[in-house]
Amino acid sequence: MIEFKNVSTIYDNDFIALDGLNLEIKQGEFVSLVGPSGAGKSTLLRLLTRELIPNKGVIILDGVDLAKLSMNDLPFLRRKIGMVFQDFKLLSNKNAFENIAFALEVCGATKEEIDADVPKALTIVGLNDKTERFPHQMSGGEKQRLAIARALIHRPKIILADEPTGNLDLVNSYDVVKLLMKINEFGTTVVLATHNREIVNSVGRRVITMESGRVVKDQTEQGKYII
Amino acid sequence: MKASLKRIFDTGWTNFKRNSYLSLGTTGVMVLVLSMFSGLLAVNYISSRIVSTLQDKVDVSVYFKNEAKEEEILQVKNDLESLSQVKVVTYISKDQAFEDFKQKHAGDALIQESLAELESNPLQASLNVKANESSQYASIAGFLEENKLRSVVDKINFYENEQVIKRVEGIYRGIQNWGFIATMALALVAVLVTFNTIRLTIYNQKQEIEIMRLVGGSSWHIKAPYLVEGGLYGAFAGLITIAMFYPAVIFASPKVEALMPEVGLLGYFLTNILQFAGLVLLVGILLGAVSSFVAIRRFLKV
Repeated sequence: MIEFKNVSTIYDNDFIALDGLNLEIKQGEFVSLVGPSGAGKSTLLRLLTRELIPNKGVIILDGVDLAKLSMNDLPFLRRKIGMVFQDFKLLSNKNAFENIAFALEVCGATKEEIDADVPKALTIVGLNDKTERFPHQMSGGEKQRLAIARALIHRPKIILADEPTGNLDLVNSYDVVKLLMKINEFGTTVVLATHNREIVNSVGRRVITMESGRVVKDQTEQGKYII
Repeated sequence: MKASLKRIFDTGWTNFKRNSYLSLGTTGVMVLVLSMFSGLLAVNYISSRIVSTLQDKVDVSVYFKNEAKEEEILQVKNDLESLSQVKVVTYISKDQAFEDFKQKHAGDALIQESLAELESNPLQASLNVKANESSQYASIAGFLEENKLRSVVDKINFYENEQVIKRVEGIYRGIQNWGFIATMALALVAVLVTFNTIRLTIYNQKQEIEIMRLVGGSSWHIKAPYLVEGGLYGAFAGLITIAMFYPAVIFASPKVEALMPEVGLLGYFLTNILQFAGLVLLVGILLGAVSSFVAIRRFLKV
């Protein structure tokens, strides 16, 4: 599903974010990426959405070499991925319904499909009574649940979550992770980058520990937060 | 296709309404720009009227010797009329000239008495020549000098009028050249002001655009509603400008006419109301949409 072959990323200030990274993630896995700040977790996720291009190496996602992807094909790649961010990245000018609808619109869904699917997604994340609310009228937990609803609405093959619990209290954090696990049960690959020890330990699935742009530990089953 | 267009227009309109402060500010700036544009149209009209009035007043007369036969004069008239520079040639016979003189001085008893005592008509037959442009009189005078019937021509008053003609020509060229430069300079200012205003408006939504890109929005899917939004700024600004411009013309028109009676400002803009309104709306919509198009490009590179 996802393959990194000898991937290196060096930022403009000569900071080496990824240093010859090799990694494979299979379809349907739930992977927690852990490691100290600057270990390269977010860079890894940004390479998968092709916000960044590596200086060296090959990245294959769902059989596609990302380096060979044209700007015109980029939206099609991103429609295979659902993104969840620490800062939610919701569209502030759109209400809850419209935020989710947008992800469907870009995939070419009809108005009827949007009207049918969006309320279901809002119900799954427990926001069915807040369809008209704008992001600034919602709590942190609600915003993140809305972001998850947006990430799953178009039934992506992969969900990438970058510190999704970073701005949430423990209760909301568990809610978010439970949602991600539920999505994973339907066969969606989930990659979760986090600093949250309790969350990682409670998930108990594959845990990849990164440091200085390399994989230093890969616990394939019953993984624990170890850095 | 229809559903997609509807979505684009609906989203553009919703954004326009929701960003009400930004929309108001941008529309306000565009009203100023379009008012300046309308003002330029009015100034161009006034200056072109002044120039054409001046040009109408300029002509050249060819006076013929008394022994010139009428068919010779008409031959010269025909020759002149065959020139592309010549707009119109009017033949004034000796009798006609005498009649015109009498009419002109009908109230002057002394002149009337003098005319009555004359044994023969002292006035000369003449041709009055109007050119298409004032710069063409010199070549018309040259043509007459070369004419085979030059011998029956007594004098060509171009040489007496030459200075006046050259001054009119100078004013005409000045207004044309400087008017063009001023119009272009102001148009450039207008485009830059609009572009920068819309760029700031879109810069404000930079993060939104990047998010749309990250959730898989294609360039056009993201861009199109912004183009509609830009077009809406222009359309509203155009409507407000038209609504302000006509009262201003109604107010200014009598004052301009008092100074320059040949300039019918209100009449001109009323006759051309559809063309004027269409032009202002078109310029507004294009300025808004094109500015949005250019401004949004750099944020779509994510």
